[in-house]
Amino acid sequence: MAANMYRVGDCVYFETSSTSPYQIRRIEELNKTPSGNVEAKVMCFYRRRDLPNPLIQLADKHQMAQSEDSPIAMKLKKICLKTPVGEEQAAQAVLDPALAAMEEESSELPGTDGLAPKQRHQAKHRELFLSRHVETLPATHIRGKCTVTLLNETESLLSYLNKDDAFFYCLVFDPSQKTLLADKGEIRVGSRYQTEVTNLLKDGEEDVRNSEELETLVWTPEHGLTDRQIDQFLVVSRSVGTFARALDCSSSVKQPSLHMSAAAASRDITLFHAMDTLHKSGYSIESALSSLVPASGPVLCRDEMEEWSASEANLFEEALDKYGKDFADIRQDFLPWKTLKNLVEYYYMWKTTDRYVQQKRVKAVEAESKLKQVYIPNYNKPNPALITSNSSSGKAPAVLNGGTNGTATVTAAQLCASCQVTNSNQWYTWGPQHLQYRLCGSCWQYWKKYGGLKTAGVFGETEVEAAKGPRGEGEDTALSVSHRPHRCTVLNCAKEFKLRAHLARHVATAHGSGEGARPVMKTRAAFYLRASPFTRLARRLTRALRRPRHYARSPFSPINLTQVKHECSAAMAGLGAAELRAAGAAAGAARVRGPVGAVAARLAAARGTPPATGRHDWLTLTPRDAMPHPPHVAFPKPPKAPDGSLMYERVLSRAEIEARRAEAAPAQPLKRRAYDDINGLDRGAREGGECAAPPPAKRPNKHPAPMQRPSREQYAAMCARAQATGQPLPAHVFTHVNGKPTNISGRGGRRHVISWMDAPDDLYFRANETAKVARRSLSCGELRRGARAPWRALRGGAAAPAPLHHGGAARLSAPAVYSRCTYPARPSPSPPPPPGTERRLYFW
Amino acid sequence: MAMQPHSKKRVCYYYDSDIGNYYYGQGHPMKPHRIRMTHNLLLNYGLYRKMEIYRPHKATADEMTKFHSDDYIRFLRSIRPDNMSEYNKQMQRFNVGEDCPVFDGLYEFCQLSAGGSVAAAVKLNKQASEICINWGGGLHHAKKSEASGFCYVNDIVLGILELLKYHQRVLYIDIDVHHGDGVEEAFYTTDRVMTVSFHKYGEYFPGTGDLRDIGAGKGKYYAVNIPLRDGMDDESYESIFVPIISKVMETFQPSAVVLQCGADSLTGDRLGCFNLTVRGHGRCVELVKRFGLPFLLVGGGGYTIRNVSRCWTYETSVALGVEIANELPYNDYFEYFGPDFKLHISPSNMSNQNTPEYLEKIKNRLFENLRMLPHAPGVQVQAIPEDAVNDESEDEDKVDKDERLPQSEKDKRITGDGELSDSEDEGEGGRRDNRSYRTPQPRKRPRLDKDGSTIKDEIKTEDSKDDVKNISSVEEPKKELPPNP
Ligand SMILES: [Zn+2]
Ligand SMILES: [Zn+2]
Ligand SMILES: [Zn+2]
Repeated sequence: MAANMYRVGDCVYFETSSTSPYQIRRIEELNKTPSGNVEAKVMCFYRRRDLPNPLIQLADKHQMAQSEDSPIAMKLKKICLKTPVGEEQAAQAVLDPALAAMEEESSELPGTDGLAPKQRHQAKHRELFLSRHVETLPATHIRGKCTVTLLNETESLLSYLNKDDAFFYCLVFDPSQKTLLADKGEIRVGSRYQTEVTNLLKDGEEDVRNSEELETLVWTPEHGLTDRQIDQFLVVSRSVGTFARALDCSSSVKQPSLHMSAAAASRDITLFHAMDTLHKSGYSIESALSSLVPASGPVLCRDEMEEWSASEANLFEEALDKYGKDFADIRQDFLPWKTLKNLVEYYYMWKTTDRYVQQKRVKAVEAESKLKQVYIPNYNKPNPALITSNSSSGKAPAVLNGGTNGTATVTAAQLCASCQVTNSNQWYTWGPQHLQYRLCGSCWQYWKKYGGLKTAGVFGETEVEAAKGPRGEGEDTALSVSHRPHRCTVLNCAKEFKLRAHLARHVATAHGSGEGARPVMKTRAAFYLRASPFTRLARRLTRALRRPRHYARSPFSPINLTQVKHECSAAMAGLGAAELRAAGAAAGAARVRGPVGAVAARLAAARGTPPATGRHDWLTLTPRDAMPHPPHVAFPKPPKAPDGSLMYERVLSRAEIEARRAEAAPAQPLKRRAYDDINGLDRGAREGGECAAPPPAKRPNKHPAPMQRPSREQYAAMCARAQATGQPLPAHVFTHVNGKPTNISGRGGRRHVISWMDAPDDLYFRANETAKVARRSLSCGELRRGARAPWRALRGGAAAPAPLHHGGAARLSAPAVYSRCTYPARPSPSPPPPPGTERRLYFW
Repeated sequence: MAMQPHSKKRVCYYYDSDIGNYYYGQGHPMKPHRIRMTHNLLLNYGLYRKMEIYRPHKATADEMTKFHSDDYIRFLRSIRPDNMSEYNKQMQRFNVGEDCPVFDGLYEFCQLSAGGSVAAAVKLNKQASEICINWGGGLHHAKKSEASGFCYVNDIVLGILELLKYHQRVLYIDIDVHHGDGVEEAFYTTDRVMTVSFHKYGEYFPGTGDLRDIGAGKGKYYAVNIPLRDGMDDESYESIFVPIISKVMETFQPSAVVLQCGADSLTGDRLGCFNLTVRGHGRCVELVKRFGLPFLLVGGGGYTIRNVSRCWTYETSVALGVEIANELPYNDYFEYFGPDFKLHISPSNMSNQNTPEYLEKIKNRLFENLRMLPHAPGVQVQAIPEDAVNDESEDEDKVDKDERLPQSEKDKRITGDGELSDSEDEGEGGRRDNRSYRTPQPRKRPRLDKDGSTIKDEIKTEDSKDDVKNISSVEEPKKELPPNP
């Protein structure tokens, strides 16, 4: 679990191409996009293979110099890489005789003494180059964690080799300039940097320092008072403060109650003043007491919080809204009679008020798009380079694909190109196709993670990689292994894209994906199965597939593909080309059954019913006005405007919604039967029996959110119930207006942004025995109604058996929807702050 | 050089009530307000009343130019937000503008911060105190003629320069998550100040602090850098802090210590990347305190201000040797500490990239360097304070209790004889004998030159325990809200 939790700051593998090695990135930010995906802003590390050759050579020299103390090395250390060094410079530098003099270690990394050649080879794979280059990648491409640390000279490279997924770096690479730089600051030496060190005072020398000039004593612990006495005095000073506020006109307006006065008198300023008074009175409680109540009246200490009037506070909030925390501007344009210090002090106190807390909550919701961590499950899809045909050799040798499987003739191509083994559970094609190289499972993993082969063998390092075509091509096909078109959901567009990223780009450019844009995709795109001609043929030829209806109903039951292939190929072998074509074509051709009347007659005859003579009046269409009206119209036609265009209801602005909510505030009693909640407005109709409800004045709204919103308690109750029963939430609970979430609760409430990412996916309803029994007890009409109006509770009259209605709200419908119910999992909002004052009233 | 783990210290604390009102600017992570938050916590925890509280003077330009260049200080004194445009060139030269913005009252802020550290150093010199605290100081990045990393005037260097009048060797320890480059650079070539900095190294501000940076000239081997990686937790921190500091004490034998307590090494810091808790951070204070040397504690970084004030409050209590409750007392900024309103914080689940092997290697390399110190005596009685190596929590608790002087005892004594005796309260027994005085001691010792009887705090009674609990419970807020008017 923790392993799949990726946090900001983690170093991770990213797979941007299925066939090349992972890329190593550090997560700088995680952002939830409006479309509900998580994007990672990452910083790039580069592998040695990504750098131009001269730079690599220079890097090695530099590293060598670091670990040596020879004069040349020292010189090199001084000059080298303090400023960025480019490719040409590097090529020059390497040729420099001074550098060339340094022992040529055949471009091996330094610090590798005592390592076996193979280890030296592998150590190179662990070296990375830091860059300041930042890019954005979809978080779903993360393939695991790794660590990248600055190599410390005390460490041996072996410590990296002994750990999986451990990398080191020494230098910084600039990919755009193609330069190298050492990432090391410098302590400068010289009179401009060091201080003159004070000498020790000599005997007889006078210290000019005099503490009295440097400080003022404000409190001393050597006072002779007990803690109890001090505490008592603090209480007294607060009492005096309370009394002072009672006498003070302006205070009694602000703090009309005794409680509030006492709270105001308990703020720290009063306490500090009390301590100061004690100190000034020489820690004599008596004289301190009398200075608390001088002739002019009891002492009143007020801090900024209390000093400010309500209108000043409002001005401040307004200003803060406008200017942010630019206090100089705020002062100038809003509160010129305050000092900057007043403003700062007030600001930090204002942050403790409920008004600020409320604001912060709003902001917190907005900032929800910034994530701290993200959970990415293990990636289990097979890599397209995986050779499937030869897998599990020996177990199921009968394979259809032909081609590579023959008897086990071990050719060169069937050795692992890296470790030369012949036996592996998995094989991956690697390198240019015509060479037919393959890697064993473990070498493939190594290649993906470390970007090289375990051994510096015949195949070298990156030649093969370079021989491959441009990466872009492979990338697309690789990522869309399964055929899942990403279709634009914007009305009248419906363009399809191979990659979601492309779709996202399309949506952003063609439709503008601002904040208010409508959700365009589902989290899990629906997919369809495209039957190839071969599949279609197989359906007709194979016995195993003879029960298409069964398979259609239970898509989860497995089909033995090997058997299918086997049978199919056997059957195909016995057919000529023409027959094959015919068989394939037949699948697509419609069967001729004759007119419906004839069919009906045939069926009646088959049942033994005497064929009716003459007209079949049950076959004539019911006249339109005689048709029964459905009690509920899901998508009624809006009224027509005089010009003939349809008038759609305006989407309400937030202000209007607020207003309406205020009107409709008297909510329904909390205790309602569960299905009432679930069915929203339908309730009225049903409670009035099956008879139609009075026609709604306006267009009936299936999602009547703006008019009737659940209170937070109702909402919580609904969520809890929904979770318990596995039911979806009623749609109106999470209403989007204009793509923006609406405020569910008022003061102190937390806005619930329910992203459409959380919207239910298409799922199927798997009927168990009880459900099946129940289904049988329902009439055909009821079933059909249920299927058409899944949001309705099935009443089924007395016929419906009890077990169906657990919680009174079980529904039985064909496209039953199961909500993932992430909603209740959200932390419940903290209890609303107490109404009344905006300042906390704590006192004792 | 043995320790007095059972001693009460006389603590002086420097604070100016204006300090919280300086504002670096919108969006700037450095918030002097955290110092005021600390102060209010100290008051409400009842720690305030146990210290000498001083309002520092404003350091003069003369004082600041003891380290800084004249033109740099002149520039700081004259620049204001409203005349910035006239100083374009100088702003570049002195690196003022971006990280180190020009804000209203900038110079005064520097004066207060530096004034506190200088006054504290003088206080220690005069032996008028054993531990001085200036949370407004600790601005360790400031250079001789250059602002850097939110620091303009290096109060630490100024304080150390003051200490050097009376102390042949001063040790500077820096537990900020950033390298203490300003202090290190200032004393890079001297053997009278050893700078020891524990910091994140590698692609991190300010970029210095490599293990191989060890000082230059006479100062070679007098700069000690402990480069660390992300995710340092309490345990690993102590595992490297204890041996290094013990070794440094043993070989360098300082007679005064300055500890920069930058709180950006705490877990969850806005700019930091370590995973220390308040306890782990405070442990460093405790360990250094045990050496019983004149001790100056300064602030530093720290950008998640609620945790900074938690940390410095706790460290003040450690300096005082007083236990405080985990429940935070009510104060003006109480709401900042939600939702738990506790003093201590929990580490996050971030991974610790500092393996024990890595730390061991670093430690060994530094030991090799320390062995090069000329002063290092051959075989020295180890300087590790008792309990320091031994970190069982049970043990820790015991030490806390032992170090604590129950308030009731103190009160009883005070009310009992009706007269005050410094030495009794401080219990500074044996301190001077054990100190390493390799240098001629200054003659002027205005205070503390008396043979106070040493009070050990072993006496513990039932009511003393109760009383300690009350220290915090008295200040606790009533949780009930008053009924609404
Ligand atoms: Zn292999
Ligand atoms: Zn489109
Ligand atoms: Zn810092």
